[in-house]
Amino acid sequence: MTEQTIASPVAPPPGARPSSLLRGERITSKIFVAALQSSCGLFLLIVAGLAAELVWGARLSLKTFGIGFLWSSHWNPVTEQFGAAPFIYGTVVTSLIALVLAAIVGILAAIYLAEFAPRWVGTYLGLLIELLAAVPSIVYGLWGLFVLAPIVANWIGPALQKTLGFLPFFKGPIYGVNVLTASLILTLMIVPTITAITRDLIAAVPMRNREAALALGATPWETAAKVVLPAVRRGIIGACLLAFGRALGETIATTMVIGNRPVISASLFAPGYTVASVIANEFTEATSDLYLSALIELGLILLVVSLIVIGIGRLMVRLFVR
Amino acid sequence: MSALPIAQQRKLTSVLWTVICGVFATGVAIVLLLIMGYIIREGYSAISLSFLTRLPRPTGISGGGVANGIVGTLIIVGIAALMAFPVGVLVGTYLAVYSHKRVAQLLSFVADALAGVPSIAVGIYAYTLLVEPFRHFSAFSASFAFAVLMVPLVIRATEGAIALVPRELREAATALGAPESRVVLKILLVAARPGIITGLLLSLARVTGETAPLLFTAFGSQYWELSPGQPMAELSLQIFTYAISPYADWHAQAWGGALLLIVAVFVLSVLARLSILLGRDGRGDGGTV
Amino acid sequence: MPGMKLSLNRVAEPIGGSPAQSRPLQSPGAAADIPVKAEIRNVGFHYGKFQALKNISLPLRDRRVTAFIGPSGCGKSTLLRVLNRIYELYPGQTASGEVFVDGENILAPGLDLNIVRAKIGMVFQKPTPFPMSIYDNVAFGIRLYEKLPKSELAGRVESALRRAALWAEVKDKLYQSGLSLSGGQQQRLCIARAIAVRPEVLLLDEPASALDPISTQRIEELIAELKPDYCIAIVTHNMQQAARCSDYTAFMYLGELVEFDETERMFTHPREKRTEDYITGRFG
Repeated sequence: MTEQTIASPVAPPPGARPSSLLRGERITSKIFVAALQSSCGLFLLIVAGLAAELVWGARLSLKTFGIGFLWSSHWNPVTEQFGAAPFIYGTVVTSLIALVLAAIVGILAAIYLAEFAPRWVGTYLGLLIELLAAVPSIVYGLWGLFVLAPIVANWIGPALQKTLGFLPFFKGPIYGVNVLTASLILTLMIVPTITAITRDLIAAVPMRNREAALALGATPWETAAKVVLPAVRRGIIGACLLAFGRALGETIATTMVIGNRPVISASLFAPGYTVASVIANEFTEATSDLYLSALIELGLILLVVSLIVIGIGRLMVRLFVR
Repeated sequence: MSALPIAQQRKLTSVLWTVICGVFATGVAIVLLLIMGYIIREGYSAISLSFLTRLPRPTGISGGGVANGIVGTLIIVGIAALMAFPVGVLVGTYLAVYSHKRVAQLLSFVADALAGVPSIAVGIYAYTLLVEPFRHFSAFSASFAFAVLMVPLVIRATEGAIALVPRELREAATALGAPESRVVLKILLVAARPGIITGLLLSLARVTGETAPLLFTAFGSQYWELSPGQPMAELSLQIFTYAISPYADWHAQAWGGALLLIVAVFVLSVLARLSILLGRDGRGDGGTV
Repeated sequence: MPGMKLSLNRVAEPIGGSPAQSRPLQSPGAAADIPVKAEIRNVGFHYGKFQALKNISLPLRDRRVTAFIGPSGCGKSTLLRVLNRIYELYPGQTASGEVFVDGENILAPGLDLNIVRAKIGMVFQKPTPFPMSIYDNVAFGIRLYEKLPKSELAGRVESALRRAALWAEVKDKLYQSGLSLSGGQQQRLCIARAIAVRPEVLLLDEPASALDPISTQRIEELIAELKPDYCIAIVTHNMQQAARCSDYTAFMYLGELVEFDETERMFTHPREKRTEDYITGRFG
């Protein structure tokens, strides 16, 4: 090679080689590691603080009411009697109905998107459904209050009462803001979760499973229902749990359409109250320490239940997706 | 139906179910379009220059706007981002680079758990931590609540983006003797940038329009307020207050605000997707030899 | 003579041309004419519980190319990755034994790993340009250890690119992204990047296997050009490439060193039956 006038990359004589990284590099390295570690520490601290503050805030109520808090249906700020039953009832009922409806719609929609729809239809339709998840809850609440509630009061409610009015669920006067409306809004909000996850799970089932079934003469639906779906059953249950957990914690949309009355009634047309809603509505009105503590305890209950439900749900989905 | 042979029955059933599934899928999409359409129709008429630039008028008096809510949203979300982004990216980086350490598994578990916490509970946390001790509501406490909601998303996106970087890239840098900090800062984070930006944008979309924690942190305001230490107006909070009020004029403004929110969230979501697409186009190919 | 170095650790010897006499299976360099740059002694390796390398010992000679061949899974890449301790990125992977480079055991704990890796460079199978400009790619390693004025740095970058036979093609686009190059060019960029820090040993892990035939040929030519200045170890699954490029060849099988000899001798008169079977293609 003739270009020896330029500094040759050939190894320098011993002793001329730099003996270690540049000092600047070593300092950067130390700062970097410190930054990583401190941010991890800060993060853990903040999360621990969340649990600690809620437990601490709830301690007065926990001490005063004990376990009976969960099934007492007295909620009287004046006499300082607080019980969680009406709110737990409202939360569970609305979330369960939403789960059932969203599961039916969501799973079938996901089957269509993943199995039957042509590629481009599946992409755009899927995108639209995912955009549903991006809509803020306040917007759902607004639409629910001004559009859905009147529809329930004027159309859906009377229709249900006419046909199924013998059931206790559809008896009684029909308000627009009630448990049913809240359940329907929640359904809309959690359908995208179930659809998106189920669709991914189904898409991950290897083609050879389908090919084997089709080769035996199964119809597309039979393949989907008897081969593909059972294969992802556990993942779908996980998706449903995740959706259920989301519904449990939903606050604003529910508050705007549920009527906010702490009553336990069998009728879906009656107003109700959820744990999140009562906290949202009454937190700034809490006049005494016990009142506030009771609300915080409600928040703690909601937190614990949500974490458990979502945790199990995520575990079940993960065992599939990974 | 029982007159047909079995094979035909089964084919018919299959078609029937396909249609049902298709109806459900399209039905959901149609409902979304209906909701969007309704908001656009109702909200469009409410949006005017005065709506965007005026302060709210006293109860029942018409006119007025949500200017302070728009500004308040920008401030609250902005401060939240300043808090959440560094922490989220750093923790996410740690999880990606040191995934084998036991602390990393704990962190990952905690981050996942935090992603499932109801926003109202986070609101209570912000209240007990930052409102009660100071005895007044503040935008800063709202930002804190938002930041707590955003961090898990940023962590997951960062960790995911770095994990996707081919391990040969990390090995090649390490083989030159680069310390971990160099490898991460100059190579891993750069390569993972599109995915991280997507995560940041999605976390912003998540909290824009989040209302519950604001009820007892920012609390809302009728006036201009730029100081984070004070209660501040926020758009979604204003929508809520107006919606549950009995005044038609305020209802109209609620729709206007909802339209603004939807546009903001959708713009962020689209940008998030673009980030991934554009990031991929950075690679070229100059030929075969 | 370009690249003539003085080293206290080396016995002064005539360069080139080894006497044609039969050598023992593993020549620890005691009777060698060519100085030994790296001495691999009793090296073992575990992926968790699985033992991937069993008691490997052989010399890597300076200014010569030593090729490692063998069927997939035989451990040749694993051995290469022991030499610059890149496996330490992954917990659960452990190495035993010693590797003496210029008399110092680089597997000893407590060593400055960065310097070890600067001295022993590696080029990987898949070209991996960093997400930065071509210039910054090559300068990356230099900037870790030396604070150079801009002109000197530019000079080092240029000479590294020249030695990697890439300068002519990139000199007008030094500030474009490294990813904008073709596959063969990217690999030469990786070679330039590795030699920019002035290593003494070059480890090449199947450097051409991801490239087209023309690029492969250029890489092989490059290896021949670089040979006078480095101790080169190359892993290849392509036997013809080993025969073409290397002076010494080590045949490995199932984690063991089956045979080690001068390339010419091994390919014409292999000593072990397994070697012969592999070379003649009876198993791959």
